[in-house]
Amino acid sequence: MSRLGRIGTEATAATRSFLRRRTAVFFTFFFPVILVVIFGALIRTQPTGGGLFAEPAGYYIPGYLAVVVLFTPLSRVGSEIARHRDGGRFEKLATTPLSRVEWLVAHTLVNVAIIGAASLLILGLVIAVTDAELVVSASLLALPVFVAVAVALFCGFGAILGALADSQDGVIAASNTVALPLLFLSETFVPPALLPDWFLPAVAASPLTYFARGTRAILYEPATWATELAILSVLAVGFLALGAYAVPRTD
Amino acid sequence: MNETVPSEPTDGTNATDPVLVAEAVRKSYGDVVALDGADLRVDTGEVFGLIGPNGAGKTTLVRALTGTTEVEGGVHVLGVPPREVDPQRVGLLPQSFDPPARLTARELVDYYGGLYDSARDTEGVLRDVGMAADADAWYETLSGGQKRRTCVATAIVNDPDLLFLDEPTTGIDPAGRRSIHRLVERLAADGTTVLLTSHAMDEVERLADRVALLRDGDVVASGAPDDLIAAHGGRPRLSVTLADPAAGSVDAVAGALEAGTTDPDGSTNVGTRVDVEPTENGLRVLGVRPEGIGAVVDALADAGVAFESLSWSEPTLEDVYLELTGEEYSPRGDGGLVTDSSGNGTQPADASTVAEVGDVADGGDVVDGGDVVDGGDA
Repeated sequence: MSRLGRIGTEATAATRSFLRRRTAVFFTFFFPVILVVIFGALIRTQPTGGGLFAEPAGYYIPGYLAVVVLFTPLSRVGSEIARHRDGGRFEKLATTPLSRVEWLVAHTLVNVAIIGAASLLILGLVIAVTDAELVVSASLLALPVFVAVAVALFCGFGAILGALADSQDGVIAASNTVALPLLFLSETFVPPALLPDWFLPAVAASPLTYFARGTRAILYEPATWATELAILSVLAVGFLALGAYAVPRTD
Repeated sequence: MNETVPSEPTDGTNATDPVLVAEAVRKSYGDVVALDGADLRVDTGEVFGLIGPNGAGKTTLVRALTGTTEVEGGVHVLGVPPREVDPQRVGLLPQSFDPPARLTARELVDYYGGLYDSARDTEGVLRDVGMAADADAWYETLSGGQKRRTCVATAIVNDPDLLFLDEPTTGIDPAGRRSIHRLVERLAADGTTVLLTSHAMDEVERLADRVALLRDGDVVASGAPDDLIAAHGGRPRLSVTLADPAAGSVDAVAGALEAGTTDPDGSTNVGTRVDVEPTENGLRVLGVRPEGIGAVVDALADAGVAFESLSWSEPTLEDVYLELTGEEYSPRGDGGLVTDSSGNGTQPADASTVAEVGDVADGGDVVDGGDVVDGGDA
């Protein structure tokens, strides 16, 4: 079996396992939906100034996308690693030709597919329930690339968390602790103008910032996004490498 | 597996080289020593049984041999360090293995088979483990035995030369166990080397060509089951259920045996002894051969002791296990290791000690060692 064949086998098994957990499927898609409905339709934005959401609705689209791009891979990959470890699956896989890199790539592909679908749902909902207007241009073709690269990055991050945490509960707690600050302090829902200057370097250090800037440049304020994609890609490769190294092989 | 032919090694080893070698293997988890200098050698085509109490280090040794834990000492598998082994040649059933719950048995076999360069036909593997009829049920809906058989299937799907089965029949009913036993026998007949761990001594005795007993992280005995039984299993015993297990029966029967004219050990060796000891329901005569049972019956009649039933048995691997692990005392009077009455540690036993400790274990009254009968003098 070739490397691609092994990745395909692992991804197929992981996809089947996910799709047959109905509650997991439901909440994976329901979570971003409820977020868009609450913030986009109920609270709404106040472009004239003041309030929690002072920017036009289109500004927050990267934030909605970031919810699934960030939370889902962190918790899914982390939990999957905890599940594999608890069930002796890594012990078994260590005696097969499947490498740790191949395992993580396979699960990243599954997450890209799931989160890609969730992202489409979010975009549709944002258009349907808010007055946001998307910029339609050739750059729109880069949006799936941004989503895929960011998902890969956070899959790597999730693998690291999964390896460090000693239980599924620990993974969920750790991923929430990491994800929540990142979500709100990465130019997603909170514009940098609302943050103190001394904190801006921390914003620049967040990988999610480059996802938010890039997707905003594509969807809301047309601008160049190549630099953001390059930074995000380099970080994704780094996190994937670290994540693959962290995937347990021994006890 | 009927069509399987043992493959020739492709890594420079030859058929006479040991498949598994562990030399002075040590492993600690903090202050807990899991392996303390364990040595092991398994030859090509052997079914090798690994037995020992919980916590003796069996699973850690399996992990050391499969390269899934780091250990000190020397470990070679198929002539190379464990992590350099061609995975195509190795199959593993971990002790605690819980595959994806919402894949069917067929999908699980397909999945693990799909990770290898070549794999056996899924349907054939499912038939081998007796899962063909339930192959389309999700793993989580299977019974415990079906789950374990499915896990065994994932271990043989790559048609390995070397198969590790860590407690393969745990939770399996007798029929399922037999199907696994037949499978292991077929694999062995086809040349597969099998390392088997189990708490079922009858299983190991039936399947294994050689056995190693681990205790406190070290191999304390190894050899063919028959050799181990001969060395450590003790003597045949005749259990007698008395109609009225009153005090004094043991002395009376022992006296009658001593005074009798037939040698109750069934041999002509003067000086061979039998021992009589009390049990909860009567008494037990140690060292009796089948042909000596009549002498015991005569002695019972001579002593005026009525009995309800007789049960004769030979020593088994379980007796070896109990003897060498000291987990539970099984009195023999042959100077083996026995657990002291507090259950802490072991000590050499002489005949009188045997009687005392044995009675404690049986929950009966402590008696002197005066029940020993010299059969040769009878």
